[in-house]
Amino acid sequence: MLEKPNKFRVALISGVVIGAVSGIPGISLINCCCCAGVWLGGLMAMYLYKQQFAEGMAPMESSDALILGLMSGVVGAFVATLTSVFILLVFGPVEAEFVKSIFEKVVERMAESGSVPSDLVDQLKDQLDQSIRDSARVSGIFGSLFITLILYPIFAILGALLGYAIFRPKAPPQTTQPQ
Amino acid sequence: MSNSKKVYSAFLVLVATWCAGIVLAPLLVSSEPRISSLLYSFYAPICHQIDGRSLHADGAKLAVCARCSGIYFSFLVSLLIYPALQRLASPAIPNRWWLSIALLPMAVDVVLNVMGIHPSSIVTRTFTGICFGAVLPFYLLPPLVEAVTQLQTRLHLRGGLLYARKAQQI
Repeated sequence: MLEKPNKFRVALISGVVIGAVSGIPGISLINCCCCAGVWLGGLMAMYLYKQQFAEGMAPMESSDALILGLMSGVVGAFVATLTSVFILLVFGPVEAEFVKSIFEKVVERMAESGSVPSDLVDQLKDQLDQSIRDSARVSGIFGSLFITLILYPIFAILGALLGYAIFRPKAPPQTTQPQ
Repeated sequence: MSNSKKVYSAFLVLVATWCAGIVLAPLLVSSEPRISSLLYSFYAPICHQIDGRSLHADGAKLAVCARCSGIYFSFLVSLLIYPALQRLASPAIPNRWWLSIALLPMAVDVVLNVMGIHPSSIVTRTFTGICFGAVLPFYLLPPLVEAVTQLQTRLHLRGGLLYARKAQQI
């Protein structure tokens, strides 16, 4: 029986996709829905891995999904951080400014409706400015990498397991021995 | 304790801890603001955390929005009742169509909202999240149990081979 396809290439491709989706401002908002970008990356990894199977190879197993999800998530976390740093260095805090503009609109609307006191609005704005400044610091970048190194592998594994559940090979029909 | 039970228990503890973090973030706002802030930061990369779109506890928003809360908490409840509905060691995975059906209400809610036909509310967001989260354990737990068992078997085999090689060398 032939050996299974190499997982590293697939993990690298799906990891880069996860990182790009999570690191590019605007597109990264997809992760605001339960890390959907990372889930889909894990799912895509399983689809790509399945495509590489040829006849005569050992069948795809659920442990492949686990390993592939883990690898994709780790690669994705590094690529996302590198992409964010690159964008931060070249274009400045684009995403943070975008989020800030939305946040300020929401807070101002809340202040107008009276659900938030005006002094708290200023306090919240100061906190947001502080967090934007922190995100541009080296410690903020490493902090972000640390969190994504926990979150992305978890969600990529879940995505890959879901991918296995969807793309798994069908069990061969059970043949009965003639008596 | 069988292997499937061990994997199930570990997974359950992880999911329960995850959900506890979501609830603890608002509950600790006044007593432990630093821990609360850390929890909000931890969940920030996976959710927009918009106040108007979130459920609240003790006057503060949960660490994730209403839809995400629906998904995670229904996932936990579904995982808790899982052993009563299916054998833990069973590798059976439901037909993928059930997953599509569970995802449909959420897709409809989002599409109708984006098209301006029907605005989604906290209730619709939570409900559609619950629909999706409730079916997920039935797709995730069987391959997870199977995967851990396969990896353990491989490790045991490797360990056995190494032991045999060392024994031969001696």
